[in-house]
Amino acid sequence: MISERKFICVSCPLGCGLTVTLEDGEVKSVEGNSCPRGASYAKSEVKDPRRVFASTVRVKNGKLPVCPIRSKTPAPRGKLFEIAQAVAKLEIPAPIKIGQVLIHNACGTDVDIVASRDLESA
Amino acid sequence: MLNNNIDVLIIGAGPAGVAAGIGARKQGAEHVVVLERDWDLGGILQQCIHPGFGLRTFREELTGPEYMHRFIQQAHEAGVEFRTNTMVFQIDRNSNQVWTMNRERGIECLNPKAIVLTMGCRERPLGAIRIPGTRPAGIYTAGTAQRFVNMEGYMPGKRAVILGSGDIGLIMARRMIWEGAEVEGVYEVMSWPGGLRRNIAQCLDDYGIPFHLETTVTKIHGKDRLEGVTVAKVDANKAPIKSTERFVACDTLLLAIGLIPENELSRMAGVEIHQVTGGPVVNDLLQTSNPAIFAAGNVVIVYDLVDNVSDEGLIAGANAARYAAGEISGSIRRIPVKGGENVRLFSPQFVTGESDTTIFMRVTRPIEQACRVFTTPEFYTQRLRYARPGEMNEVKIKAAQVKAMPDLQEIIVDIQPV
Amino acid sequence: MAKKYDVIIIGAGIIGSGIARELSRYKLKIAVLDKASELPSGASRANSSMIHGGFDDKPGTVKAKFCVPGNKLWHKLKDELDIHLDECGSYVCAFTDEEKLHLEKLLAQGNANGAPGLEIISGDKLREREPNASKEIIAALWSPEAGIINNFEAVAAFIENAQTNGAELFLETLVTGLIFETNGDVKGVNTNRGIFEAPVLINAAGVHSGEISQWAGDTSFKIIPTKGEYFLLDRTTQGFIHSFMFSCPSKAGKGITVAQTAEGNLLSGPTATEQDDPEDNSTTPEGLAEVLKGARRLVPNFPVNLNITTFAGVRANTDTGDFVIKALENPRGFVNVAGIKSPGFTSAPAIAIYVADLLRENLADKIKFIPNEKFVPERRNIPRFLYSSMDERKELAKSDPAYAQIVCRCETVTEGQVIEAIRRGARTVTAVKMLTRAGTGRCQGGFCCPRVAEILSRELGVPLDAITRHGGDSKLLVGRTKEFLLNKQEARLNA
Repeated sequence: MISERKFICVSCPLGCGLTVTLEDGEVKSVEGNSCPRGASYAKSEVKDPRRVFASTVRVKNGKLPVCPIRSKTPAPRGKLFEIAQAVAKLEIPAPIKIGQVLIHNACGTDVDIVASRDLESA
Repeated sequence: MLNNNIDVLIIGAGPAGVAAGIGARKQGAEHVVVLERDWDLGGILQQCIHPGFGLRTFREELTGPEYMHRFIQQAHEAGVEFRTNTMVFQIDRNSNQVWTMNRERGIECLNPKAIVLTMGCRERPLGAIRIPGTRPAGIYTAGTAQRFVNMEGYMPGKRAVILGSGDIGLIMARRMIWEGAEVEGVYEVMSWPGGLRRNIAQCLDDYGIPFHLETTVTKIHGKDRLEGVTVAKVDANKAPIKSTERFVACDTLLLAIGLIPENELSRMAGVEIHQVTGGPVVNDLLQTSNPAIFAAGNVVIVYDLVDNVSDEGLIAGANAARYAAGEISGSIRRIPVKGGENVRLFSPQFVTGESDTTIFMRVTRPIEQACRVFTTPEFYTQRLRYARPGEMNEVKIKAAQVKAMPDLQEIIVDIQPV
Repeated sequence: MAKKYDVIIIGAGIIGSGIARELSRYKLKIAVLDKASELPSGASRANSSMIHGGFDDKPGTVKAKFCVPGNKLWHKLKDELDIHLDECGSYVCAFTDEEKLHLEKLLAQGNANGAPGLEIISGDKLREREPNASKEIIAALWSPEAGIINNFEAVAAFIENAQTNGAELFLETLVTGLIFETNGDVKGVNTNRGIFEAPVLINAAGVHSGEISQWAGDTSFKIIPTKGEYFLLDRTTQGFIHSFMFSCPSKAGKGITVAQTAEGNLLSGPTATEQDDPEDNSTTPEGLAEVLKGARRLVPNFPVNLNITTFAGVRANTDTGDFVIKALENPRGFVNVAGIKSPGFTSAPAIAIYVADLLRENLADKIKFIPNEKFVPERRNIPRFLYSSMDERKELAKSDPAYAQIVCRCETVTEGQVIEAIRRGARTVTAVKMLTRAGTGRCQGGFCCPRVAEILSRELGVPLDAITRHGGDSKLLVGRTKEFLLNKQEARLNA
């Protein structure tokens, strides 16, 4: 069975409109992309859509009450809310270093949650 | 901490200012000082915690704080002096004296040889669009809400409506969702989105947030806390169509209705302000009408990409250093740049021909077909698949091309369908 | 336990606070009650802030009696109480010969009222002084004594000075009923904060004064809440016009005016729309359109694109068309100072003196008028960084580092000013705004609102999410981040 799906590529600010042709669930072709990243985005979007998660974590005794965090790599879209809840439970003592791993293998996704800035103690 | 002999003084340690510091030091300026009113360096990017910054510069998408972290490190290595918690509240237009305040040092007066304005931009407030109704709590610009959520750790509301589709509004829609709040919808009065298409996709579509074009908020309800808004479709003249009005319950209205250069100090310094960009008129050296004052980044024209802001900062810093060293005299305005019919704004407005330059521009109306961006005389032409107001375009001009035409009167930049 | 006073004043607008200050010249125990969380509220907050020249009111009316003396008093009070008053003068503009005739009538009326310096000038002469005035204007009545005042500062000055001299202010205190002695005289009031007792009760409740008067049995007048809508433009419009400009008054009222506020913003309004709800101060598309039309008639290139906010106030018009100022025979002790609309702000200081005299003449058996030797007539405003000289600024910053920290960029307001406003009683973001002007500029609090909220939270020792915009349920924030996520069961993101 041949079907078609359309996406906006989120890999860069260009936001190319992608048209993906599928045959029996397998990607046959990608059109509309300006670079190879668009093709790989389309393939991932069909099979295993992923997004970088970015939020904040509560901080104990920091210069700010919260510290920005991110998933080091894109995490499965369907797991984002679960990750958000896991992050919500944390409270990290200051000082915090950029890149510091706050959660290993978040919610079994094999994706680490890291701090995205330095934060001094209050 | 010497206040004498400052070669280049930079106002604001956001992406433009930090880059300007690096640019000035690399050009050889001895004493380069960046003033920052906050306790922390980085400016607005410290609250932009989402990824999407620096793909061109670093070949990877960083969050705002990560992007700034790299530049701040470079600036420290380059020997840039930063002064935090220091706010400029006055620039005297004749003497170029800069008045600063700081809790420890009180009020001081600095006499730099050159100044770079890098104060960034601010958000258009509600008053600019005059929505009738009450004035309850719960109405914020998207950036103010972003500060509350990402820096202070507080939620502005539980159920938001977003007016305008600028990128910060779209980013905040997803941010509210990720904190467990609801977003009822995004309403845009124009026929096209204000922000990037990928942000519509990854911030709205991913979470099923409805996006309404040609629709606006026509009334605000609620005495103490916002209780809802009336929304309506607009006609071709952007007038609300009464019969389409409907009430939307919400406790928060976030505004993403545009950014304008922060020009309080620019005005005070007496530099010429451009009617359309709202920022200083600059030449390709990023020099304003006051020869000792340079400007870079969103204080000049609001960019889409921070990479461009940093690039412009480097250029302005380097030229300010050259001015401080006596290598540039006077304000150079050799060749005026003009915009074509569908070019809403562009910068710089003058080309000196001293160096290669990029002219940034935005179209007034979208062109949803193959088109080209070009200059007259034809120094540059580039085919585009489309041109949209939300996405900046650019042309690149080489110094040699300009120098080869000594009688050149003007350069026109334009975007037209092919 | 009831709190006992000599005088209770209901309403801390320009009238109530003015009376409180005047009565604080005597050794009286004074309570001023206001239902609002911040002052001024009601019509004293949202009006044209005009100090009228005194030609508008028919000789013999109560309004005419107070307007010219009130004007004179303000010119003195501005220094005594440290209030911004721009002594800019006003023009009534005539577009037709018929309107020009009306100017003659106003001139005669003004002369009869004792308004000094009135003069009719030609349209050309007007445009020499006001180049942006419409070319269609053929003549104008010039009133040199007219001015425009910072109305927030004026009310703050009265109430602060009254407090300095012993009066007590109770905010968020809503009067719910009157209490009478067995002989029918006034005994006090019931409020949401309990009973306040006093033998003298002054009804200065503005748009609610009719209702309170009815409780006392005086139904001789009715309040007709009348909404007035306004545009307020960026301070970069400073100098666009220099004086207060009126259209020729018609049956509908004084019409739309254009003025430069005491702070240099361009102001235009008001409409005059009668309504039932005394609290509805929402702006409307129709009202704003009417203001814009009126503004453009006077100054065709009115730069509405520089608008920073719109607002509306509800004025206490009366069905009698005049102020109601009288001590009732029955119940004794009850004094109406009601239906004070334009020129109410102008008249306020004169009304305050008159009311003090009225009490002395009629109610001396109830309260004793012993001069307060410790009365301090002066009040200093919160230091204004924006208007200070560089030497004064350096001094301020040296005396308190908080004056070396800008909170509001648009109006150059320092943290020192915000802290001082809180010390003087500000508890909300809007209260700070009215006392310091933080948030009144072109970004309308986009930058300073979070900072002001943080300072309020820190100085008052309450969490940030307890801070309100303007009292009541107007909380700025609804809780900490992460709380929704931890409480939320359904996984919306997975949808």
